[in-house]
Amino acid sequence: MALPKQIKKHLPLIPKKFGFQRREELLEYIQEDGTYLPKGIGHADMDRGMLDFVRDELKTVVDGKVVPPVDLIITTQNWAQFTQTWKFEDLNGNPNPPFITTVRNPDVKYGSTPSLQYTIPNRKQFYYAKVPTWDGQRKGVDVYKIPQPVPVDITYNVKIMCNRMRELNEFNKNVLQMFSSRQAYTFIKGHYIPVVLQNVSDESVLELDKRKYYIQNYEFLMMGFLMDEDEFEVSPGITRTLQMYELSVRTKNRKVDMYPPNPNEFPLDIQFLNSNTEISELFSYTVDLSLNETDNVDSFSVYINDDYVGDDLTKIQINTNDVVKFTVVRNDNSKDAVIYTTAKLV
Amino acid sequence: MSQRKVPITRLNKFFSEEDFDLEISMGQEWLNGDMNFTLVLYAVDQQRTIKDDVYGEVSSNGIQFKAPVEFRAMVRIEEPQNAFLGSSRIVQNEPGNLIFSVYENELSKMSIDIKLGDYIGYWINPSEVKYYSVVNAAQPNYDNKHTYGGYKSFYFTYTATPVSTDEFNGI
Repeated sequence: MALPKQIKKHLPLIPKKFGFQRREELLEYIQEDGTYLPKGIGHADMDRGMLDFVRDELKTVVDGKVVPPVDLIITTQNWAQFTQTWKFEDLNGNPNPPFITTVRNPDVKYGSTPSLQYTIPNRKQFYYAKVPTWDGQRKGVDVYKIPQPVPVDITYNVKIMCNRMRELNEFNKNVLQMFSSRQAYTFIKGHYIPVVLQNVSDESVLELDKRKYYIQNYEFLMMGFLMDEDEFEVSPGITRTLQMYELSVRTKNRKVDMYPPNPNEFPLDIQFLNSNTEISELFSYTVDLSLNETDNVDSFSVYINDDYVGDDLTKIQINTNDVVKFTVVRNDNSKDAVIYTTAKLV
Repeated sequence: MSQRKVPITRLNKFFSEEDFDLEISMGQEWLNGDMNFTLVLYAVDQQRTIKDDVYGEVSSNGIQFKAPVEFRAMVRIEEPQNAFLGSSRIVQNEPGNLIFSVYENELSKMSIDIKLGDYIGYWINPSEVKYYSVVNAAQPNYDNKHTYGGYKSFYFTYTATPVSTDEFNGI
């Protein structure tokens, strides 16, 4: 007779945690017996997790005897099978039913876990934790970074082989109770990883002229992820910051250089090339020309607007739009003559 | 195994244990003396082999073996098959399986038990040995073919598949 619901069958000695405390507890699982970083998960870890799940969570007892699971993913190394099946082999070395075996599909596909899909590209590392450090003199932190885990889908076929329907029923009951909410969780290296029941099929051999036995296949999908510890990164954080400012002590503003340079005075060379002895120039600005020196010039005359001004002048005042004409007498007619002046804008 | 021993009395009107032993000894003389096909058994030492707890695998050269034992058997090697390696488009001449039959007497005389996954070496020429892995451990052997006219079984027939040198290359 069932007990009334008010009566508790088990009294929890350790109270369950909720909310923030529960999240902290989960984090402690991840970091247990190790560093502050999560433990890496590979294919073998997930396979081991699935085997543990079958052995512990789907444990099936019929008539007081546990249906033994083959606690191994059988691979190409044939001899390994014996290490698991010798306990229930017959005299011919063949495993005797009932037993449960787990077969992994060798192909591991990119995962369908929605929370991990294509959100951080190019294996970029992201911040995971800051861990305080103390080197005896200064406090600091180490910054722990990890890349986003890679989601994977692994398909397992868990098969029960037996001779009795009641063994099938018991295992079926265990599976359906465990997966009554469609999925259950394995606990691998501190991480909860979901397992989804995909399909149930029957492979029983019930032919008339053959040995009859039941085989039922339960197809599970593990929605796991890969975390490679080699990709984890620990780098020292900034422990001390020094800020420097550079200030000018001048009290007056310095004159800013004009750019491009625009001087009031500039050299103006009047060149008489080849046999040329006369040059006219229209000045579009008001300027004073000061004679500096001459080269190959015996004498020169200056005309402004065709009005004679003088010979060998040392200073010439020119107004805007004046046409100034220079005529020169050379010392040596075979060479060029040059009058070097300085023009000062007025 | 049952402790009760029941003598085999079938065919005893014209065939007895002595006849059976005589026939077997003549057959063994022919196989061992005339044919002299020699194989080497590399039995996996399950106790000393350190394997992982997920796949039961060991790394390359990680399997521990008992001392190799030579034994005689009737050997048949099947023809190789020229085929693609899976769907890889790599052509490979897949060597044929090794099928060998051993007298029960031979196994008990050499104190050996050939099990699933054990390795077999077979010298195909003086300088080259090929290795095979047992995939059919020949149990049970009480079918008509393996008995002497239905009297008692007297030999085992094993099937072994060729292995690559990456898996096993002698010890």
